[in-house]
Amino acid sequence: MDGRTDHLMTFRDLAVTYNVDERVPIRAVDGVSLEVRPQEVVGILGESGCGKSTLASAVLRLLAPKAKCEGGVLFRGRDLLNLSKAELRAIRGREIALIAQDPAQSLNPVITAGSLIGEVLRAHLALDAGQRRERVMELLGEVGFGRPEEIYSAYPHQLSGGQRQRIAIAQAVACRPALLIADEPTSKLDVSLQAEIVELLSRIRQQHGTAILIISHDPALFAGFADRIAVMYAGRIVEVGSCFEILGRPLHPYTQALMRIATAGMSAGARASERLPTIAGESPDPGCLPGGCRFEPRCSERMEVCSLRYPQAFSPEPTRPVNCFKYGE
Amino acid sequence: MGSNLPNLPTNLPSNLTVGGLSDRSFLRVSGLSKRYVRGGLWRKRVPVAAVISADFEILRGQTLALVGESGSGKSTVARCVARVERPDAGQILIHGRDIARLSSHELLPFRSGIQMVFQDPVTSMNPRFSALEVIEESMLMDRHASANAEKLRDRQNHGDQENRRNRARALMVEVGLSPDWMHRSILDFSGGQRQRLALARALALQPQLLVLDEALTGLDVSTQAQIANLLLDLQTAHRLTYLLISHDLALVARLADAIGVMAGGRMVEVGLTQQIISNPCHSATEKILASAKASAAKLSVVTGASS
Repeated sequence: MDGRTDHLMTFRDLAVTYNVDERVPIRAVDGVSLEVRPQEVVGILGESGCGKSTLASAVLRLLAPKAKCEGGVLFRGRDLLNLSKAELRAIRGREIALIAQDPAQSLNPVITAGSLIGEVLRAHLALDAGQRRERVMELLGEVGFGRPEEIYSAYPHQLSGGQRQRIAIAQAVACRPALLIADEPTSKLDVSLQAEIVELLSRIRQQHGTAILIISHDPALFAGFADRIAVMYAGRIVEVGSCFEILGRPLHPYTQALMRIATAGMSAGARASERLPTIAGESPDPGCLPGGCRFEPRCSERMEVCSLRYPQAFSPEPTRPVNCFKYGE
Repeated sequence: MGSNLPNLPTNLPSNLTVGGLSDRSFLRVSGLSKRYVRGGLWRKRVPVAAVISADFEILRGQTLALVGESGSGKSTVARCVARVERPDAGQILIHGRDIARLSSHELLPFRSGIQMVFQDPVTSMNPRFSALEVIEESMLMDRHASANAEKLRDRQNHGDQENRRNRARALMVEVGLSPDWMHRSILDFSGGQRQRLALARALALQPQLLVLDEALTGLDVSTQAQIANLLLDLQTAHRLTYLLISHDLALVARLADAIGVMAGGRMVEVGLTQQIISNPCHSATEKILASAKASAAKLSVVTGASS
């Protein structure tokens, strides 16, 4: 509940509300509690609009000015939501770093790759120019560039999507942060590159003990990488468990349906022109959420009680909270 | 389709009848090449060959998927087939008629028959339009194209507008959108809904060929499956022919009758889906297949181990 020493970061009942125009305030994240332990890889699984990116942005307070945060985000016992701008600057990039979804947009187009990485070092570490250059070369090698000298002086537009994402990762790990936040780091990349990026992140974790909070809509990305997975639906976490538990033996009907789709892909019996399993309907409009369980309108196992109130977390197994009335009432 | 395995000769004569199949052939592309010029202004202008002599054929009502890494030239092929781009060489035969060299004026009668759907449909729609306007626009454009003289009178014609509106309503229902949303701005639609809208717009002109350029990329897993199913339904209902561009082989395997693999601007392998997947002949195919399988395997290790 508090900033216990075995937690690196804790979301404590975090809620984020967007007040756009005069319309209904939109609660993109609604009462999320989750902890990330040192060196742990935590995956957040959910479809677009479920609030997972808002959650990630809230950590480094990168939300739009019109967003209002309630609750807490504790990092090493300090609440990030209450820090001054200067205190926050000392943490951003130094202790917590972000890898954005689309490096084509997050990298400054008029700065060379070498300077982009050097910039982070200059902001946080007292190194002279020579040391900095040396360090950047090391980092470029670390993220998998065979000839760092060539990349050093290249501009982002001269690099491929995969290379750009590697630069973004080098930037993020430059100061050896304790926590990396990766917001859909591979969704803009080819399938073959996706695996390489996940491998790279996995290596960084092993070598430097960096904890990673990784966000994706694709369960396959977490397989063999995440330690724990939290499943988000319409602003709330509906289920938390180990990677094996969530992907292999999901308990919430939403996760179960998602996994049926994910594993249907190239399964042995898959034939051309055969319909794919889906989840009926769409995720609810965050401005007008169902009164009870938010997945109820799409759920194949809905019961009467589901539309009446939101299910609290039940624990059908000791370490697995699931917000579904299937497991108690 | 089986007759052009594993590789078509690049100098294929246009009137060749392969195994008597060519009367069923809807689209036949041969020797398609396209170069772009990189550089300019301060830098030396360097021609880049985006597509080098690509050959393939799609039968009526079937789906050919083009797969390949980014930069392999698959989108350029798509853009040439839809004649958004003019190829430098080669033939694009639709029903036996070569559209590769036609001028934009000569293309007009073909435009409605070939429609294109893009990855992010909103960037291809006017953001100030409502759903109705998006669908209606293509019908209006088609009128401009076909009946120049009649158009001015008809545009004012109330009955005609009523017709278009009814047709737009029917199209929205067909692609799974509520017609009540007709007057909503397209910006209020979610990613999956926008892709449905893009399909409704494309269908408005009763096309025979849809060119789907990464139309399923970037969508959620469940939305992707929904749109894939919709594509299958529409194909059956309208006997549509699809040219589907994707880098996701796992998904393509479920939708395509045949697969063409591109690498470095060349079509390195074309064949029936099952053949490509079970017996890849080219290293590029093997690589794409391996990454798709690796991802599936990782998932099955996790899902299989504890169930």
